[in-house]
Amino acid sequence: MKVQIALFASLSRYQPDGEGGRAPREFELAEGTTIADIILSLGLPDEPRVVFVNGRHAPDDHVLAEGERLAIFPPVAGG
Amino acid sequence: MTRDILRVDMGDLSITRQPLPDAWRRYGGRALTDAIVYSEVPPDAEPLGPDNVLVFAPGILGGTSAPNGGRISVGGKSPLTGGIKESNSGGQAAHALARNGIAAVVVTGAAADPDARYCLVIENDGSASLERVDEWAGLGNYDLAEEIAATRPEGDRYATIQTGPAGEAGAKAAGIAFSDPKGYPNRFAGRGGLGAVMASKGLKAVVVSDKGHGFLGHADKEAFNASMKRFATALKDHAVTGQALPAYGTNVLTNILSEAGGLPTRNFSHGTFEMADDIGGERQAETIKARGGEEHHGCHTGCTIQCSRYWMDKDGHYKTKGPEYETAWSFGADCGIGDLDEIAELDRACGDLGLDTIEMGATMAVYMDSGALEFGDADGALKALMSGVEGGTPGRVLWNGAAATGKEFGVGRVPTVKNQAMPAYDPRSVMGIGVTYATSTMGADHTAGYTVATEILKVGGEADPLKPEGQAELSKNLQIATAALDSLGFCIFVAFPVLDIPEAFAALHELAAAHTGDEWDADSLMQVGREALTFERLFNEKAGFTAADDRLPAWMMTEKLPPHNVVFEVTDAELDSVFDFVPDTAREMGLA
Ligand code: SF4
Repeated sequence: MKVQIALFASLSRYQPDGEGGRAPREFELAEGTTIADIILSLGLPDEPRVVFVNGRHAPDDHVLAEGERLAIFPPVAGG
Repeated sequence: MTRDILRVDMGDLSITRQPLPDAWRRYGGRALTDAIVYSEVPPDAEPLGPDNVLVFAPGILGGTSAPNGGRISVGGKSPLTGGIKESNSGGQAAHALARNGIAAVVVTGAAADPDARYCLVIENDGSASLERVDEWAGLGNYDLAEEIAATRPEGDRYATIQTGPAGEAGAKAAGIAFSDPKGYPNRFAGRGGLGAVMASKGLKAVVVSDKGHGFLGHADKEAFNASMKRFATALKDHAVTGQALPAYGTNVLTNILSEAGGLPTRNFSHGTFEMADDIGGERQAETIKARGGEEHHGCHTGCTIQCSRYWMDKDGHYKTKGPEYETAWSFGADCGIGDLDEIAELDRACGDLGLDTIEMGATMAVYMDSGALEFGDADGALKALMSGVEGGTPGRVLWNGAAATGKEFGVGRVPTVKNQAMPAYDPRSVMGIGVTYATSTMGADHTAGYTVATEILKVGGEADPLKPEGQAELSKNLQIATAALDSLGFCIFVAFPVLDIPEAFAALHELAAAHTGDEWDADSLMQVGREALTFERLFNEKAGFTAADDRLPAWMMTEKLPPHNVVFEVTDAELDSVFDFVPDTAREMGLA
């Protein structure tokens, strides 16, 4: 199945193509892949993060489905 | 430690200095401006008439070395909302006033001659005078800063407080500019039209010299330094204040709010902006770096978070500050503009004219929605904005804000509460902030109770931004805590570590206690927050506000916001519960 993955702020450098940037990349994933699996395979640092699937917060054990958009942010804030 | 009130009567041009009444010794910043406005301004006063007062107050910790403790509160009756106003700013003035022993400057009356302009000069020995400066009439903030510089002795160190041409035109969106550590007049008490109040008194500028003054001393130096260390460590250790804010600035929020469907786009008609990344904090940081700008700095000395930055033009010259998230949003996503240089141009124009960029961007989006301009037309927006310099429409209408503009140009979708435009979070998909917008005494204001931290950013717990449950309680607690922070003089961004790290919270009252020698604890700190809000609520009640004013515009309950297709769902009863503590607190204060 195909899933879009976008990484933001300090995490964008973990895109496997090494090109950084916030543009989403398309990934071909096996059925049953969870967010935790992806975090592990991308090698994201073991720090708090804010994760969205299709614009809604999602837990790390969320099982991704065809066509979903996953976005991962480090802790950010402002105002 | 001296804490005096400097009273400046613009009617007879007299200046007097009196000690702060003992009943107000626990008040600084917002609590103090509130107490003074509540006590001195008739609730039915004409905001631009002589009965209004304008108050500048550093917080309890102003002038000290407390990290991020040098913010300033400006108070008065707002010409935009008709209610009480506390508008908060960075810049150097809070430190400079506090180091001269001044807890508040209270400006009353109005100059007899409407063409007269005055500059209040406070020297570093605490003496003060009013200088006649008619030739400064109509000057933009940047030129004005240079004129002021020319009057100062060589080697002076001073802060400025200024109002621009928009304030002099009586614009309801006019803000007050404060000089930053480099002297640029680019920090703003933007909201609520206080720049017009300042100008209505004949006051064009204030200069405060603090040359030769160091940090203020403390009642208990050792305790102060120990708490300060713990506090500074917490600010450094927390990922938001230690990493994200210095690296990307406030505009790091653009991408995440767009992702969450909460970034109001094209006059609040959509919750995501397809060009969000083009105007976001990551792109901003990359561009500033490429143009040779410095990465970050504080808006006042003593800020250790340093979320501030300067935008450099394509030739690498200073253009304006930031742009901050709120401005990148208001002139960006909300106006359909996807270019940071274009946004910076509009930001600079507002900074020079002395206009609130939140109000003006939201206003421009309403104007665009009327069909008068295309969304995305940055040149047209700049022209419309600048047309106010000569007077007439559309400029002078726009300068009065989103509500006035919606009325004049027949737009139904006007995102205001109490006549003040909503900032950069759509309350339909970030429902907690909708509670703050609806109920805040200030009109739609995000800083009054920043539930976004918990709802979207997962700081200080978690709440589902798309659900109404628990949002009223969350907003209430944050509104009280924020009023307390505003009274101590802290930048509200310290709230991010304070909400997550218990020692950082404790440090707040420990610092206040060690500095003043008074007893402060968690309860008394929150009590000051409740008392500030109680002054504000009571003032607004007397000015005629009712529960009907604590509501979002009706269309936000029916018009679904894409992409989540949601409406605002918090009930009226829940909104009305936010200020349920006011009668009790008023009794405790002897105001009932
Ligand atoms: S964190 Fe930003 S807004 Fe707060 S005091 Fe520092 S520079 Fe100013």
